[in-house]
Amino acid sequence: MEKQNLRIRLLTSWGRWSIVHWKEALLIVLGITLIMIYGASRVQSQMTYYSILPSKEKNVQDLKEIIKNFPMASGIIAVIDGRKIKNPAEAEKQVKATIDALERELNKASYKKYIIRTSGKTDISLFKEHGLMLTKSEDIKRFAEMFKSLNFSALLHNINNDFEKEYSGNEEKLSLDENFAVSQFKGLDNLVHLMEKAASGKKVSNAEVNKVLGGYLYGDSYLLSNDNRMGLLIIEPNFTIDTIGKMTKGVSFIEKGVKSVAAAHGLKAGLTGLTVVGRDEMETSQQGLAVSSTIALLLILALMIFAFRMFSAPLISGTPLVVGIIWTIGLTGFTIQRLNIVTAMYMVALLGLGIDYAIHLLTAFVQERDGGVPFKDAVLNSLGKSGNGIIIGALTTAAAFFMLSFSKTEMISELGIVAGLGIISELVVMIMMIPPLLSWRNSRVERKGKGEHKLFARININSHAASGLGNMLVKKPYAVMLVMILVITGFSFFAGKISIEQNIMNMEKKGLESIKLQDEMVKEFGMAPDVMSIISSNLDEIKSLSTKLKKLSSVKRVESIVPYVTIGDEVKVRTPEIKEFKMNIENTRSENSGIDNRKLLYELNRLEDNFLELSDLAYLGNMDKIAGILSHATGRNSDGVKVGTTAFDSLGGMLEKGPVDERNLEHLQNMVRDNLAAKLTEMTSLQPVTLDMVPAVMRDSFVSSDGSKFLLNIVPTKNPWKGDFRKIYESQIKSVTDKATGMVLAGDVLTIMAREDGVRSSLGAVLVIFIIILIDFRNVKLAFLTMIPLAASFLVLFGIMGIFNIKFDFVNIIAVPLLIGIGIDDAVHINHRYLLEGKGSMARVIGKTGTALLLTSLTTIIGFASFIPSPMRAMKSTGIVLSLAMAIAFINSVLLHPAVLIVAAEKLKLNINPWRKGDKKHV
Amino acid sequence: MKRIFLLTALLVAASASYVCAETARDIVDKADEAFKINRVYSISSLTVYKSGKAQPAQVIEGYTMERNGKSYSLTIYKAPRRMKGTAMLMIDNDLWVRFASTGRVRKLSSSAKKNSAGGSDFSYADMGENGQGLAEKYTPSLRGEEKIDGVSCFKVELTAVSPGAPYEKLMVFVSKDDYRYIRIDYYENNATIKTMKLSDYRVKDGINYPFKVVMESHVKDSRTVILTKQFERNSSKIKDRYFTTGYLQSIR
Repeated sequence: MEKQNLRIRLLTSWGRWSIVHWKEALLIVLGITLIMIYGASRVQSQMTYYSILPSKEKNVQDLKEIIKNFPMASGIIAVIDGRKIKNPAEAEKQVKATIDALERELNKASYKKYIIRTSGKTDISLFKEHGLMLTKSEDIKRFAEMFKSLNFSALLHNINNDFEKEYSGNEEKLSLDENFAVSQFKGLDNLVHLMEKAASGKKVSNAEVNKVLGGYLYGDSYLLSNDNRMGLLIIEPNFTIDTIGKMTKGVSFIEKGVKSVAAAHGLKAGLTGLTVVGRDEMETSQQGLAVSSTIALLLILALMIFAFRMFSAPLISGTPLVVGIIWTIGLTGFTIQRLNIVTAMYMVALLGLGIDYAIHLLTAFVQERDGGVPFKDAVLNSLGKSGNGIIIGALTTAAAFFMLSFSKTEMISELGIVAGLGIISELVVMIMMIPPLLSWRNSRVERKGKGEHKLFARININSHAASGLGNMLVKKPYAVMLVMILVITGFSFFAGKISIEQNIMNMEKKGLESIKLQDEMVKEFGMAPDVMSIISSNLDEIKSLSTKLKKLSSVKRVESIVPYVTIGDEVKVRTPEIKEFKMNIENTRSENSGIDNRKLLYELNRLEDNFLELSDLAYLGNMDKIAGILSHATGRNSDGVKVGTTAFDSLGGMLEKGPVDERNLEHLQNMVRDNLAAKLTEMTSLQPVTLDMVPAVMRDSFVSSDGSKFLLNIVPTKNPWKGDFRKIYESQIKSVTDKATGMVLAGDVLTIMAREDGVRSSLGAVLVIFIIILIDFRNVKLAFLTMIPLAASFLVLFGIMGIFNIKFDFVNIIAVPLLIGIGIDDAVHINHRYLLEGKGSMARVIGKTGTALLLTSLTTIIGFASFIPSPMRAMKSTGIVLSLAMAIAFINSVLLHPAVLIVAAEKLKLNINPWRKGDKKHV
Repeated sequence: MKRIFLLTALLVAASASYVCAETARDIVDKADEAFKINRVYSISSLTVYKSGKAQPAQVIEGYTMERNGKSYSLTIYKAPRRMKGTAMLMIDNDLWVRFASTGRVRKLSSSAKKNSAGGSDFSYADMGENGQGLAEKYTPSLRGEEKIDGVSCFKVELTAVSPGAPYEKLMVFVSKDDYRYIRIDYYENNATIKTMKLSDYRVKDGINYPFKVVMESHVKDSRTVILTKQFERNSSKIKDRYFTTGYLQSIR
């Protein structure tokens, strides 16, 4: 009683002083607002999903360490698309030219502020010199066997033996070595072409020989798609997803450059990668927030004009509303110093929540003025009558939100803090600003000589519809209750069908280029956009895990620094083998240079047979790139029917029937032998390969900046964001190690934690609300009855979500605590009025409060529904779920709750009076 | 008293698990009846769907038999045109392929049995299970009952015991009313890597045989459908001489 009196005394004292000294009152608010603006300047906008990952989780910590310490983890991938060029050879040529042009462009000084380096081709310098030292023992022996003679027929004989041993009849093996196999087939086909050229008497240059053998030994250095009509350029930026400001500007700057260079070459290009997705999340969420805040503010202010028929209503309610938002951002700046995607969304929702206090105060004020009460008394009465209700309402909502701050998940705890601060700020600002603003308006009205009642004469805030509803509730409380229970029960049957969104990509904007390109990379390059990774300071551990992980059926390949350096006893084991290999190569230089046409023809036919068999296997295994190259080399169409003449045919024909320019062919054989011997000898360095010798792009990909840790990437066979594959991928990796992390896993952790933590904190919030209601109404039965519409609202909401397959995700899950915090308000207001008006007064209670409740609920729904037009699907879904939740809560509060109250207090004669006599009337 | 109660409880639990193990074995043995068949001739079509897109259908002529504890299987491609005449011979763990495009015969390593057969979602081992049944190399345990595609099924877990078992675990769903395999989940490293669904059961030559088998990979975007067009048990078309590399070489 004393507390209530004190509360009302404080309110009316402020009201009395601020009406008279409205300028000073507004100056005080301005002073505080300036301090809050300073606070707001400390706030960082971090609207990426990455920024809300739960940082206390081990795998999230590992992921953050990877982003921080492994520069290429923030790598940007430029995808160059030449698919619109029909001729495959022309498309490949144009894609390669574009990659070269892009490298030149991005290495210009203007890009240095964002780019460390670019990589459009595989750096083969290390392999050229240390190739054999980086090759497994069994493969060194294999190569030694293959290259023990470099004369054409002997070389082809050994290569054929190798093919038959390694690949024939085994498409699985072929698939594992696809890229290496492709370069081998292409190189051999090109070599046959050179032989055919030489045999027919045409001159073959050293440069041609060098190019063909380089391609055969080292492969194509460009990063091309399976059909060679797309290419990749890797860009190493000097920012990460954590340096949001630089990331947003940097990605957009690079994107502009990449697109314009590609367009100049008649091709399309786009960017993808974690940082690009992060930039897109920032941009789409900011666009969404700009759209939704504008819509929300305009609709709310229009509603205020319509409801109060006062053109100054937007100013009187809108100014404190905006000031309240500034205070909230300012207080956020003094506390947690950042706005994440969820708290930023809450700022928009706060427009719909904060305005409620203005509605309650202005409604009470207008009702007083309608009753002919003078201005000053009307303001003071409105503060006295509705102030108590809105303070309790705000306190319950804020308490519910603050309970969330104990959550372990930052996203939820930050929401709790910001939401609680927001409610308190709006309440305080409304109470501080509305009386002086009304006073300012009144002085203007008086100065213009308008009568005091003129504006309000025709206003009747009591709605006939609301009174009608109240009468119906009084007449048929049982019927209303029964219908509501039936509807609620009906919906509750579908509540179990509710599901959780597992794919973060389904929460992004639809049609986002960076996401589409991830799918393209899976389809065209066989590369997955998101991988799981392991960090370790032990190279042996990385090596051992690589071996185990490679065997998993959900793993396409593993990537680490292991193939690029020598570890353990590798140097010791490989050195004698490399020495022997080198000696063999030396011996080939003294080989007889004669050519046995018959033997060469036999080996050529054998090679063609191997190509045909491999082509069949590739066809069966759907390895289009290999099947295409081999079909072309053997002159077959997709049905395996011979449709063209090949180098095999013409060279075979010459060797069989003549004429052959034997001298020229022998000369080519010498050139090939010398060039191949030189290349192979160059690869026989015996020096151990250490980290500092590894090309920078590789090092930055797999070695931490300080060189102390190593990264192992586990590339999946499918896009891990699609379907249930992620569970298989994660589960298989867990059977080998529990050290893996990645955006996929971190996203799952966030979903699980948001769900579990959200539910836990929400239960806490329910408890706190119950206690506050209990203290306020001092009646256990009434406190329980007040919770009924809230519980019913959850059942209906979950039921509707189940029916329409609206999934919960880690963003829209905030509907649960928000519904608890906000959904109870209407029932609390009805309780207050019912206790004030007394038994049998429900028609009047609904008549008097119904319109205000409808208005406040409408503004809240507008606040949330303003997210629906957002391009970001997570925001859209949050808008749908929250506006649904608020609409359901309103219906339950004005239909179910009054019916329950009438039945309980008037029919069943339950005592809902306070246990200690207070300032409330007894029912 | 307490001790007697404990002993009784243990005894009951032990006999219950024994009964369950027996029941599980009975169930899979009955389901295996359809696959423990000898001298089978069949013609089937095999279609692989990659990313939902059907690849050219493969029409396959199959010959299988069991002799002296060894399983023999010969598969000859009839279509597509490119593969016509290509054939595979499997004798226990040995595998040979004859390529129609070159007429050459190649022997594959024994590990190839685990590889994908003809680019499909079946391994060579999956294709050659006939004659032995599924459960032979596994220990069955009853894991309850479940409805699969509207059919009430026993859910039986098969855990690998023999080192020759191609998978660490299988979860098989056997219809309760007529002991047909309805679905089989294949496990590798704690995860279901593929699922086989068997349907269109028809009684042919005294056995209830699935004329439609669908294998869906969960680690690749791929699904394989095998439709049996012709099926003969104890077929006179099966000749012992077919299961030799010499015959393989002669196939045209």
